[in-house]
Amino acid sequence: MTTPAARWVWLRQLAAFVVVLAVWEVAGRAGLLNPLYVPAPSQIGAALAESFSDGRIWPHLEATFTAALGGLALGIAVGIVLGVIAALVPVVAELVEPVMTLLNAIPRVILAPLFVIWLGIGLASKVALSFILVAVLIFFTVFSGIRQVDRKLVERIITLGGDRWALVRHVYLPSVAAWILSNLKVAVGFAFTGACVGEFVAATRGLGYLLSFAQSTYNSALMFAIIFLILAVVLLIFAAAGQLEKYLLRWN
Amino acid sequence: MRAVIGLQPPIAGTVELDVAPAEVGILFQDDALLPWRTARDNVALGLVFHRLDRAQALAQADEWLARLGLSGFGNRFPRHLSGGQRKRVALAQVLALRPKLLLMDEPFASLDAIVRARIIQDVAELVEHERISVLLVTHDLEEAISLSDHIYLLSQGPRARLTRDYPVPIPRPRDPMGARTHPAFAPLFDEIWKDLSLEVGHGTRAEAAE
Repeated sequence: MTTPAARWVWLRQLAAFVVVLAVWEVAGRAGLLNPLYVPAPSQIGAALAESFSDGRIWPHLEATFTAALGGLALGIAVGIVLGVIAALVPVVAELVEPVMTLLNAIPRVILAPLFVIWLGIGLASKVALSFILVAVLIFFTVFSGIRQVDRKLVERIITLGGDRWALVRHVYLPSVAAWILSNLKVAVGFAFTGACVGEFVAATRGLGYLLSFAQSTYNSALMFAIIFLILAVVLLIFAAAGQLEKYLLRWN
Repeated sequence: MRAVIGLQPPIAGTVELDVAPAEVGILFQDDALLPWRTARDNVALGLVFHRLDRAQALAQADEWLARLGLSGFGNRFPRHLSGGQRKRVALAQVLALRPKLLLMDEPFASLDAIVRARIIQDVAELVEHERISVLLVTHDLEEAISLSDHIYLLSQGPRARLTRDYPVPIPRPRDPMGARTHPAFAPLFDEIWKDLSLEVGHGTRAEAAE
Protein backbone atom coordinates (compact mmCIF):
# COMPACT_ATOMS: atom_id res chain seq x y z
CA MET A 1 0.00 0.00 0.00
CA THR A 2 1.61 3.24 -1.07
CA THR A 3 -0.34 6.31 -0.14
CA PRO A 4 0.10 9.35 -2.41
CA ALA A 5 2.15 10.95 0.36
CA ALA A 6 4.48 7.96 0.62
CA ARG A 7 4.99 7.86 -3.13
CA TRP A 8 6.63 11.28 -3.11
CA VAL A 9 9.02 10.52 -0.26
CA TRP A 10 12.00 10.14 -2.57
CA LEU A 11 11.16 13.45 -4.25
CA ARG A 12 11.06 15.29 -0.93
CA GLN A 13 14.31 13.63 0.10
CA LEU A 14 15.93 14.65 -3.19
CA ALA A 15 14.65 18.22 -2.75
CA ALA A 16 16.11 18.36 0.77
CA PHE A 17 19.44 17.06 -0.54
CA VAL A 18 19.54 19.71 -3.28
CA VAL A 19 18.71 22.44 -0.76
CA VAL A 20 21.51 21.30 1.56
CA LEU A 21 23.96 21.27 -1.37
CA ALA A 22 22.85 24.75 -2.44
CA VAL A 23 23.22 26.19 1.08
CA TRP A 24 26.61 24.50 1.35
CA GLU A 25 27.72 25.96 -2.00
CA VAL A 26 26.50 29.48 -1.17
CA ALA A 27 28.13 29.37 2.26
CA GLY A 28 31.37 28.25 0.64
CA ARG A 29 31.36 31.03 -1.94
CA ALA A 30 30.46 33.62 0.68
CA GLY A 31 33.63 32.65 2.53
CA LEU A 32 31.81 31.23 5.55
CA LEU A 33 33.54 27.84 5.19
CA ASN A 34 37.29 27.38 5.19
CA PRO A 35 37.99 25.48 1.94
CA LEU A 36 40.91 23.80 3.68
CA TYR A 37 38.43 21.92 5.89
CA VAL A 38 35.12 21.99 4.04
CA PRO A 39 35.44 22.69 0.32
CA ALA A 40 32.26 23.71 -1.54
CA PRO A 41 30.36 21.05 -3.51
CA SER A 42 31.58 22.53 -6.80
CA GLN A 43 35.21 22.07 -5.71
CA ILE A 44 34.50 18.48 -4.66
CA GLY A 45 32.79 17.87 -7.99
CA ALA A 46 35.76 19.33 -9.82
CA ALA A 47 38.16 17.09 -7.90
CA LEU A 48 36.01 14.07 -8.70
CA ALA A 49 35.72 15.01 -12.39
CA GLU A 50 39.45 15.61 -12.64
CA SER A 51 40.36 12.25 -11.14
CA PHE A 52 38.13 10.56 -13.70
CA SER A 53 39.13 12.67 -16.68
CA ASP A 54 42.87 12.11 -16.22
CA GLY A 55 42.16 8.42 -15.55
CA ARG A 56 44.07 8.40 -12.26
CA ILE A 57 41.13 7.00 -10.34
CA TRP A 58 40.65 3.75 -12.28
CA PRO A 59 43.45 1.63 -10.84
CA HIS A 60 42.39 2.70 -7.33
CA LEU A 61 38.75 1.91 -7.96
CA GLU A 62 39.71 -1.41 -9.45
CA ALA A 63 41.93 -2.33 -6.50
CA THR A 64 39.28 -1.52 -3.89
CA PHE A 65 36.53 -3.20 -5.86
CA THR A 66 38.52 -6.36 -6.38
CA ALA A 67 39.47 -6.56 -2.73
CA ALA A 68 35.97 -5.81 -1.43
CA LEU A 69 34.08 -8.09 -3.81
CA GLY A 70 36.67 -10.86 -3.47
CA GLY A 71 36.47 -10.69 0.32
CA LEU A 72 32.68 -10.51 0.15
CA ALA A 73 32.35 -13.59 -2.07
CA LEU A 74 34.87 -15.64 -0.10
CA GLY A 75 33.41 -14.49 3.21
CA ILE A 76 29.85 -15.41 2.23
CA ALA A 77 30.89 -18.80 0.86
CA VAL A 78 33.03 -19.76 3.86
CA GLY A 79 30.51 -18.27 6.31
CA ILE A 80 27.68 -20.36 4.86
CA VAL A 81 29.68 -23.60 4.69
CA LEU A 82 31.09 -23.24 8.22
CA GLY A 83 27.72 -22.11 9.59
CA VAL A 84 25.87 -25.08 8.09
CA ILE A 85 28.47 -27.62 9.20
CA ALA A 86 28.69 -26.17 12.71
CA ALA A 87 24.91 -26.15 13.07
CA LEU A 88 24.60 -29.77 11.97
CA VAL A 89 27.73 -31.33 13.52
CA PRO A 90 27.95 -30.57 17.25
CA VAL A 91 31.66 -31.47 17.43
CA VAL A 92 32.47 -28.82 14.83
CA ALA A 93 30.33 -26.26 16.65
CA GLU A 94 32.29 -26.91 19.86
CA LEU A 95 35.50 -25.97 18.07
CA VAL A 96 34.38 -23.24 15.70
CA GLU A 97 31.86 -21.30 17.77
CA PRO A 98 34.29 -20.07 20.49
CA VAL A 99 36.75 -18.90 17.83
CA MET A 100 34.00 -17.09 15.96
CA THR A 101 32.67 -15.57 19.18
CA LEU A 102 36.14 -14.23 19.92
CA LEU A 103 36.54 -12.86 16.41
CA ASN A 104 33.10 -11.31 16.72
CA ALA A 105 33.92 -9.66 20.04
CA ILE A 106 37.05 -7.85 18.86
CA PRO A 107 37.09 -5.07 16.26
CA ARG A 108 38.39 -7.29 13.48
CA VAL A 109 40.16 -4.42 11.70
CA ILE A 110 42.91 -4.68 14.33
CA LEU A 111 44.04 -7.73 12.36
CA ALA A 112 44.97 -5.51 9.40
CA PRO A 113 48.65 -5.01 10.36
CA LEU A 114 49.02 -8.73 10.91
CA PHE A 115 47.63 -9.50 7.47
CA VAL A 116 50.12 -7.06 5.93
CA ILE A 117 53.00 -8.93 7.58
CA TRP A 118 51.60 -12.29 6.54
CA LEU A 119 50.39 -11.46 3.05
CA GLY A 120 52.29 -8.34 2.00
CA ILE A 121 51.03 -4.92 0.97
CA GLY A 122 49.32 -6.23 -2.18
CA LEU A 123 45.76 -7.26 -2.82
CA ALA A 124 45.82 -10.41 -0.64
CA SER A 125 45.99 -8.59 2.70
CA LYS A 126 42.94 -6.45 1.79
CA VAL A 127 40.94 -9.44 0.60
CA ALA A 128 41.83 -11.20 3.85
CA LEU A 129 40.58 -8.31 5.97
CA SER A 130 37.32 -8.01 4.01
CA PHE A 131 36.94 -11.76 4.17
CA ILE A 132 37.33 -12.02 7.95
CA LEU A 133 34.89 -9.14 8.52
CA VAL A 134 32.23 -10.74 6.29
CA ALA A 135 32.80 -14.41 7.15
CA VAL A 136 32.18 -13.97 10.89
CA LEU A 137 28.97 -12.03 10.24
CA ILE A 138 27.64 -14.62 7.78
CA PHE A 139 28.71 -17.52 10.00
CA PHE A 140 26.55 -16.31 12.87
CA THR A 141 23.68 -15.49 10.53
CA VAL A 142 23.65 -19.04 9.21
CA PHE A 143 24.53 -20.78 12.47
CA SER A 144 21.76 -19.17 14.50
CA GLY A 145 19.38 -19.19 11.51
CA ILE A 146 19.54 -22.97 11.18
CA ARG A 147 18.83 -23.39 14.87
CA GLN A 148 15.61 -21.43 14.43
CA VAL A 149 14.40 -23.47 11.47
CA ASP A 150 10.81 -24.68 11.71
CA ARG A 151 10.93 -28.22 13.18
CA LYS A 152 7.73 -29.13 11.36
CA LEU A 153 9.44 -28.64 8.00
CA VAL A 154 12.36 -30.78 9.12
CA GLU A 155 10.04 -33.59 10.18
CA ARG A 156 8.06 -33.27 6.97
CA ILE A 157 11.21 -33.81 4.86
CA ILE A 158 12.31 -36.75 7.03
CA THR A 159 8.93 -38.47 6.79
CA LEU A 160 8.94 -37.99 3.01
CA GLY A 161 12.20 -39.92 2.92
CA GLY A 162 14.69 -37.05 2.64
CA ASP A 163 18.23 -37.48 3.93
CA ARG A 164 20.54 -34.98 5.59
CA TRP A 165 21.56 -33.39 2.32
CA ALA A 166 17.88 -33.00 1.40
CA LEU A 167 17.36 -31.16 4.70
CA VAL A 168 20.25 -28.80 3.96
CA ARG A 169 19.11 -28.16 0.41
CA HIS A 170 15.36 -27.91 0.88
CA VAL A 171 14.96 -26.62 4.43
CA TYR A 172 18.09 -25.17 6.01
CA LEU A 173 19.52 -23.15 3.11
CA PRO A 174 16.20 -21.66 1.95
CA SER A 175 15.33 -20.82 5.57
CA VAL A 176 18.58 -18.98 6.19
CA ALA A 177 18.58 -17.37 2.73
CA ALA A 178 16.21 -14.70 4.03
CA TRP A 179 18.52 -14.01 6.94
CA ILE A 180 21.62 -13.91 4.75
CA LEU A 181 19.94 -11.54 2.30
CA SER A 182 18.80 -9.22 5.05
CA ASN A 183 22.41 -9.10 6.28
CA LEU A 184 23.83 -8.74 2.79
CA LYS A 185 23.83 -4.95 2.98
CA VAL A 186 25.75 -5.05 6.24
CA ALA A 187 28.15 -7.51 4.63
CA VAL A 188 28.72 -5.20 1.64
CA GLY A 189 29.51 -2.37 4.06
CA PHE A 190 31.90 -4.64 5.96
CA ALA A 191 33.62 -5.72 2.75
CA PHE A 192 34.36 -2.12 1.74
CA THR A 193 35.41 -1.29 5.29
CA GLY A 194 37.90 -4.14 5.15
CA ALA A 195 39.26 -3.12 1.77
CA CYS A 196 39.64 0.58 2.65
CA VAL A 197 41.10 0.02 6.12
CA GLY A 198 43.54 -2.48 4.62
CA GLU A 199 44.59 0.18 2.15
CA PHE A 200 45.04 2.77 4.92
CA VAL A 201 47.45 0.47 6.70
CA ALA A 202 49.74 -0.33 3.81
CA ALA A 203 49.10 -0.19 0.09
CA THR A 204 50.22 1.32 -3.18
CA ARG A 205 46.75 1.46 -4.73
CA GLY A 206 43.09 1.70 -3.79
CA LEU A 207 40.58 4.27 -2.62
CA GLY A 208 41.76 3.84 0.98
CA TYR A 209 45.31 4.54 -0.14
CA LEU A 210 44.13 7.57 -2.11
CA LEU A 211 42.24 8.81 0.97
CA SER A 212 45.28 8.59 3.19
CA PHE A 213 47.33 10.27 0.42
CA ALA A 214 44.78 13.10 0.26
CA GLN A 215 44.97 13.39 4.03
CA SER A 216 48.76 13.69 4.04
CA THR A 217 48.57 16.49 1.47
CA TYR A 218 45.63 18.25 3.17
CA ASN A 219 43.54 17.82 0.03
CA SER A 220 40.06 17.81 1.55
CA ALA A 221 38.33 18.27 -1.83
CA LEU A 222 39.79 14.94 -2.96
CA MET A 223 38.86 13.32 0.36
CA PHE A 224 35.22 14.36 0.02
CA ALA A 225 35.27 13.28 -3.61
CA ILE A 226 36.44 9.77 -2.66
CA ILE A 227 33.95 9.52 0.20
CA PHE A 228 31.10 10.39 -2.15
CA LEU A 229 32.45 7.98 -4.73
CA ILE A 230 32.50 5.10 -2.22
CA LEU A 231 28.99 6.10 -1.15
CA ALA A 232 27.76 5.95 -4.75
CA VAL A 233 29.41 2.58 -5.34
CA VAL A 234 27.92 1.04 -2.19
CA LEU A 235 24.44 2.41 -3.02
CA LEU A 236 24.73 0.80 -6.45
CA ILE A 237 25.57 -2.56 -4.87
CA PHE A 238 22.69 -2.14 -2.40
CA ALA A 239 20.30 -1.71 -5.32
CA ALA A 240 21.64 -4.90 -6.91
CA ALA A 241 21.30 -6.72 -3.57
CA GLY A 242 17.71 -5.50 -3.30
CA GLN A 243 16.89 -6.96 -6.71
CA LEU A 244 18.52 -10.27 -5.77
CA GLU A 245 16.50 -10.36 -2.55
CA LYS A 246 13.28 -9.71 -4.46
CA TYR A 247 14.02 -12.57 -6.85
CA LEU A 248 15.13 -15.14 -4.27
CA LEU A 249 12.30 -14.36 -1.85
CA ARG A 250 9.59 -14.20 -4.51
CA TRP A 251 7.69 -16.98 -2.70
CA ASN A 252 7.06 -14.63 0.19
CA MET B 1 2.17 -41.74 15.72
CA ARG B 2 5.64 -40.25 15.96
CA ALA B 3 6.84 -43.65 17.12
CA VAL B 4 5.04 -45.48 14.29
CA ILE B 5 6.64 -43.29 11.60
CA GLY B 6 10.02 -43.46 13.36
CA LEU B 7 10.41 -39.82 14.40
CA GLN B 8 11.06 -40.92 17.97
CA PRO B 9 11.62 -44.27 19.69
CA PRO B 10 8.71 -45.68 21.72
CA ILE B 11 8.94 -44.89 25.46
CA ALA B 12 7.80 -48.43 26.25
CA GLY B 13 7.00 -51.48 24.13
CA THR B 14 7.68 -51.93 20.45
CA VAL B 15 6.08 -50.90 17.17
CA GLU B 16 5.15 -53.80 14.92
CA LEU B 17 4.15 -53.12 11.35
CA ASP B 18 3.29 -55.48 8.53
CA VAL B 19 4.35 -52.87 5.99
CA ALA B 20 7.85 -51.54 5.26
CA PRO B 21 8.79 -48.25 6.96
CA ALA B 22 8.90 -46.58 3.54
CA GLU B 23 5.26 -47.57 3.01
CA VAL B 24 4.07 -45.46 5.93
CA GLY B 25 2.97 -41.90 5.27
CA ILE B 26 1.94 -39.20 7.74
CA LEU B 27 -0.24 -36.13 7.48
CA PHE B 28 0.35 -33.67 10.28
CA GLN B 29 -2.07 -31.18 11.74
CA ASP B 30 -0.11 -28.36 10.10
CA ASP B 31 0.32 -28.73 6.37
CA ALA B 32 4.07 -28.02 6.72
CA LEU B 33 4.64 -27.38 3.01
CA LEU B 34 7.91 -25.79 1.97
CA PRO B 35 6.89 -22.14 1.54
CA TRP B 36 9.63 -21.53 -1.06
CA ARG B 37 8.47 -24.34 -3.34
CA THR B 38 5.45 -24.32 -5.64
CA ALA B 39 2.61 -26.79 -5.03
CA ARG B 40 3.85 -29.24 -7.67
CA ASP B 41 7.46 -29.00 -6.47
CA ASN B 42 6.21 -29.76 -2.97
CA VAL B 43 4.31 -32.82 -4.17
CA ALA B 44 7.24 -34.00 -6.30
CA LEU B 45 9.63 -33.72 -3.36
CA GLY B 46 9.01 -37.13 -1.81
CA LEU B 47 9.14 -38.81 -5.23
CA VAL B 48 12.53 -37.24 -5.94
CA PHE B 49 13.76 -38.46 -2.55
CA HIS B 50 12.74 -41.93 -3.68
CA ARG B 51 15.02 -41.71 -6.71
CA LEU B 52 12.42 -40.90 -9.33
CA ASP B 53 13.81 -38.55 -11.97
CA ARG B 54 12.58 -35.01 -11.82
CA ALA B 55 10.48 -34.90 -14.97
CA GLN B 56 8.61 -38.05 -14.01
CA ALA B 57 8.15 -36.82 -10.45
CA LEU B 58 6.66 -33.55 -11.69
CA ALA B 59 4.33 -35.40 -14.06
CA GLN B 60 3.10 -37.59 -11.21
CA ALA B 61 2.78 -34.53 -8.98
CA ASP B 62 0.48 -32.93 -11.56
CA GLU B 63 -1.61 -36.11 -11.68
CA TRP B 64 -2.02 -36.19 -7.93
CA LEU B 65 -2.87 -32.50 -7.76
CA ALA B 66 -5.54 -33.10 -10.40
CA ARG B 67 -6.96 -36.06 -8.46
CA LEU B 68 -7.28 -33.80 -5.44
CA GLY B 69 -9.06 -31.15 -7.48
CA LEU B 70 -6.12 -28.79 -7.78
CA SER B 71 -5.27 -28.87 -11.48
CA GLY B 72 -4.10 -25.43 -12.52
CA PHE B 73 -2.78 -24.61 -9.06
CA GLY B 74 0.57 -26.39 -9.47
CA ASN B 75 2.61 -23.26 -9.98
CA ARG B 76 1.31 -21.43 -6.94
CA PHE B 77 3.37 -21.00 -3.82
CA PRO B 78 1.72 -22.25 -0.59
CA ARG B 79 1.26 -18.65 0.51
CA HIS B 80 -1.10 -18.12 -2.37
CA LEU B 81 -3.31 -21.11 -1.57
CA SER B 82 -6.19 -21.33 0.90
CA GLY B 83 -6.01 -23.52 4.01
CA GLY B 84 -8.07 -26.24 2.35
CA GLN B 85 -5.96 -26.15 -0.81
CA ARG B 86 -2.75 -26.40 1.20
CA LYS B 87 -4.18 -29.40 3.00
CA ARG B 88 -4.92 -31.00 -0.37
CA VAL B 89 -1.37 -30.34 -1.54
CA ALA B 90 -0.05 -31.96 1.65
CA LEU B 91 -2.32 -34.94 0.99
CA ALA B 92 -1.10 -35.22 -2.60
CA GLN B 93 2.46 -35.08 -1.29
CA VAL B 94 1.87 -38.07 0.98
CA LEU B 95 -0.37 -40.10 -1.37
CA ALA B 96 2.07 -39.70 -4.28
CA LEU B 97 4.43 -42.01 -2.36
CA ARG B 98 1.71 -44.69 -2.45
CA PRO B 99 1.70 -45.49 1.27
CA LYS B 100 0.03 -48.67 2.52
CA LEU B 101 -0.46 -47.13 5.95
CA LEU B 102 -1.42 -43.51 6.33
CA LEU B 103 -1.17 -41.78 9.71
CA MET B 104 -3.30 -38.70 10.21
CA ASP B 105 -2.96 -36.55 13.30
CA GLU B 106 -6.07 -34.37 13.46
CA PRO B 107 -5.41 -33.39 9.88
CA PHE B 108 -8.60 -31.42 9.34
CA ALA B 109 -8.89 -29.64 12.70
CA SER B 110 -7.86 -26.24 11.33
CA LEU B 111 -10.35 -26.17 8.44
CA ASP B 112 -13.80 -24.63 8.47
CA ALA B 113 -16.85 -26.91 8.31
CA ILE B 114 -17.70 -26.98 4.60
CA VAL B 115 -14.12 -27.22 3.35
CA ARG B 116 -13.57 -29.91 5.93
CA ALA B 117 -16.60 -31.98 4.92
CA ARG B 118 -15.56 -31.89 1.26
CA ILE B 119 -11.94 -32.80 1.89
CA ILE B 120 -12.98 -35.65 4.20
CA GLN B 121 -15.22 -37.01 1.46
CA ASP B 122 -12.39 -36.89 -1.06
CA VAL B 123 -9.94 -38.51 1.34
CA ALA B 124 -12.37 -41.31 2.19
CA GLU B 125 -12.90 -42.03 -1.49
CA LEU B 126 -9.19 -42.01 -2.33
CA VAL B 127 -8.30 -44.18 0.63
CA GLU B 128 -10.96 -46.75 -0.24
CA HIS B 129 -9.97 -46.72 -3.90
CA GLU B 130 -6.24 -47.10 -3.19
CA ARG B 131 -6.89 -49.57 -0.35
CA ILE B 132 -4.80 -47.67 2.18
CA SER B 133 -5.05 -48.43 5.90
CA VAL B 134 -5.47 -45.27 7.93
CA LEU B 135 -4.68 -44.56 11.55
CA LEU B 136 -6.55 -41.37 12.40
CA VAL B 137 -6.31 -39.42 15.64
CA THR B 138 -9.24 -37.08 16.16
CA HIS B 139 -11.24 -35.31 18.83
CA ASP B 140 -14.26 -35.24 16.59
CA LEU B 141 -16.49 -38.21 17.37
CA GLU B 142 -18.67 -37.81 14.26
CA GLU B 143 -15.57 -37.74 12.08
CA ALA B 144 -14.29 -40.85 13.84
CA ILE B 145 -17.48 -42.86 13.35
CA SER B 146 -18.15 -41.79 9.78
CA LEU B 147 -14.61 -42.63 8.63
CA SER B 148 -13.51 -45.60 10.72
CA ASP B 149 -13.92 -49.36 10.91
CA HIS B 150 -12.61 -49.48 14.47
CA ILE B 151 -12.51 -46.77 17.09
CA TYR B 152 -10.12 -47.00 20.01
CA LEU B 153 -10.75 -44.71 22.93
CA LEU B 154 -7.61 -43.23 24.43
CA SER B 155 -7.73 -42.51 28.15
CA GLN B 156 -6.90 -39.16 29.72
CA GLY B 157 -3.13 -38.41 29.63
CA PRO B 158 -0.35 -38.15 30.64
CA ARG B 159 -0.15 -41.96 30.77
CA ALA B 160 -2.85 -42.44 28.18
CA ARG B 161 -3.71 -45.98 27.13
CA LEU B 162 -6.28 -47.59 24.86
CA THR B 163 -9.38 -48.34 26.92
CA ARG B 164 -11.78 -49.95 24.47
CA ASP B 165 -12.28 -51.07 20.90
CA TYR B 166 -15.59 -50.14 19.24
CA PRO B 167 -16.15 -51.81 15.86
CA VAL B 168 -18.13 -49.59 13.47
CA PRO B 169 -20.81 -51.73 11.75
CA ILE B 170 -21.40 -49.35 8.85
CA PRO B 171 -20.59 -51.15 5.56
CA ARG B 172 -18.11 -50.08 2.89
CA PRO B 173 -17.85 -48.55 0.36
CA ARG B 174 -19.10 -45.72 2.42
CA ASP B 175 -19.89 -42.05 1.98
CA PRO B 176 -18.79 -40.20 5.13
CA MET B 177 -21.74 -37.80 4.97
CA GLY B 178 -24.22 -40.61 4.31
CA ALA B 179 -22.74 -42.67 7.15
CA ARG B 180 -24.14 -40.14 9.61
CA THR B 181 -27.69 -41.19 8.79
CA HIS B 182 -26.96 -44.93 8.98
CA PRO B 183 -29.08 -46.60 11.73
CA ALA B 184 -25.95 -47.79 13.53
CA PHE B 185 -24.52 -44.29 13.78
CA ALA B 186 -26.61 -42.76 16.58
CA PRO B 187 -26.42 -45.67 19.07
CA LEU B 188 -22.65 -45.96 18.61
CA PHE B 189 -22.29 -42.20 19.01
CA ASP B 190 -24.25 -42.31 22.30
CA GLU B 191 -22.25 -45.24 23.61
CA ILE B 192 -18.84 -43.74 22.89
CA TRP B 193 -19.99 -40.29 24.02
CA LYS B 194 -20.95 -41.70 27.41
CA ASP B 195 -17.58 -43.42 27.86
CA LEU B 196 -15.80 -40.34 26.56
CA SER B 197 -17.61 -38.04 29.02
CA LEU B 198 -16.74 -40.41 31.84
CA GLU B 199 -13.12 -40.46 30.73
CA VAL B 200 -12.88 -36.68 30.44
CA GLY B 201 -14.79 -36.15 33.71
CA HIS B 202 -12.42 -38.56 35.39
CA GLY B 203 -9.44 -36.40 34.59
CA THR B 204 -10.94 -33.01 35.30
CA ARG B 205 -13.40 -33.40 38.13
CA ALA B 206 -12.95 -29.79 39.22
CA GLU B 207 -13.96 -28.56 35.79
CA ALA B 208 -17.02 -30.82 35.73
CA ALA B 209 -18.17 -29.45 39.09
CA GLU B 210 -18.70 -25.97 37.65
